[in-house]
Amino acid sequence: MLKRALAIITLLIIGYWLAQGLAGVPFGEDRMLVGQYYLDHVKEQTGAVNAVTAVVVNYRGFDTLGEVTVLFIASTGVGALLWRRKKERTAKTEGSIVLTTGTRLLVPFVMLFGAYIFIHGHLTPGGGFPGGATIATAFLLLYMAFIVYEIPHKAFEKVEGAVGMTYVIVGLIGLAIGGYFLYDWIWQDWQWGAENIGRLFSGGFIPVIYTIIGLKVGTELSGIIDNMVKEEVSE
Amino acid sequence: MGEASKISRYLYTVIVLFLIWLLLTASLDPQELGFGLILSLIVAAFTYEIFTTSGLANLHPKRVAYAIAYVPYFLWAMIMANLDVAYRVLHPKRPIRPGIVHCKTVLNSDVGKLALANSITLTPGTITLDVDDDNYFIHWIWVPDEALTEKEEEHVKAASANITAPFEKFLKVIFG
Repeated sequence: MLKRALAIITLLIIGYWLAQGLAGVPFGEDRMLVGQYYLDHVKEQTGAVNAVTAVVVNYRGFDTLGEVTVLFIASTGVGALLWRRKKERTAKTEGSIVLTTGTRLLVPFVMLFGAYIFIHGHLTPGGGFPGGATIATAFLLLYMAFIVYEIPHKAFEKVEGAVGMTYVIVGLIGLAIGGYFLYDWIWQDWQWGAENIGRLFSGGFIPVIYTIIGLKVGTELSGIIDNMVKEEVSE
Repeated sequence: MGEASKISRYLYTVIVLFLIWLLLTASLDPQELGFGLILSLIVAAFTYEIFTTSGLANLHPKRVAYAIAYVPYFLWAMIMANLDVAYRVLHPKRPIRPGIVHCKTVLNSDVGKLALANSITLTPGTITLDVDDDNYFIHWIWVPDEALTEKEEEHVKAASANITAPFEKFLKVIFG
């Protein structure tokens, strides 16, 4: 009782303190310093219509590389924590025909939609992370509906490593051509897609990077799911 | 219905996925069309094995025509059933007589059974609880007198005539 009361009082104090801080922020007023620069120059400098992805992949691409690394470490960490010599699915009951057939019909659509999200990252909201998560959802559906389903491990691990490396290589090519890491050589030097901004084949290397990220996130999250649904079996 | 050849199943998956892509992009830009086709080919290569068993046979004109005709038919059944449930909710005596009934279906394919189960659930008043081979167990909001019989056969016959039969005449043609 005393513990709970103390916790509530502490939370109230922290909440009041945060509210005080936020009260000084002038909402709805034009306070953009860097933001205005992004909005003014995003099209000519990156070829992307979606300013958010241009910032995430182009202006501050280093952060995104860091995020991909964090995800990779999370996946590796789950794998290391749950490592067992022999693991198997131990689910006992198969889903009803409604569940399994529904999953069969949905999986291709979910995958196509995931690909649609990450390929249109420079045009519409979304990008590599939501697209990859959507693709992982397709595999989650398969895991939930079928008691024996397993992702093709060998292929997944290879794809995961290869696309991660491709991301770094794309960045290193930029370093060689333009002088800094993740320099957008496709847009700056080739002017690829310069005449059709707003259509699919534009946006410099954003669609390329987002395809890479989409595949990486998709395979990684699927791997995490795989690790979590399996249990050790004693022989 | 037996299993169709791999090529037929693959092509059918590609066609369906490409149609979905057209709906998603809502654009006839050649860049979108080309890339959508490539993506459909790739995704279909991974998923055609689980997606379909009968392949291109699904695109038989008669089946497509029945599928298109089924949409307004089903929507009408849904509207009427919703009004019926609204009537039961608003009626002062609240005339409900709930019960779980046992139906049988004439459909053979898994997809047909799924469509039937979803059609039954989406028309309020009936909810599919479980499907086991050709047996459907359905929760009904108002079990009519003719289904309230001790004899199993009569019960199944009455319940099926009321619940599954109206949808089956379409779904039998569409999915087999």
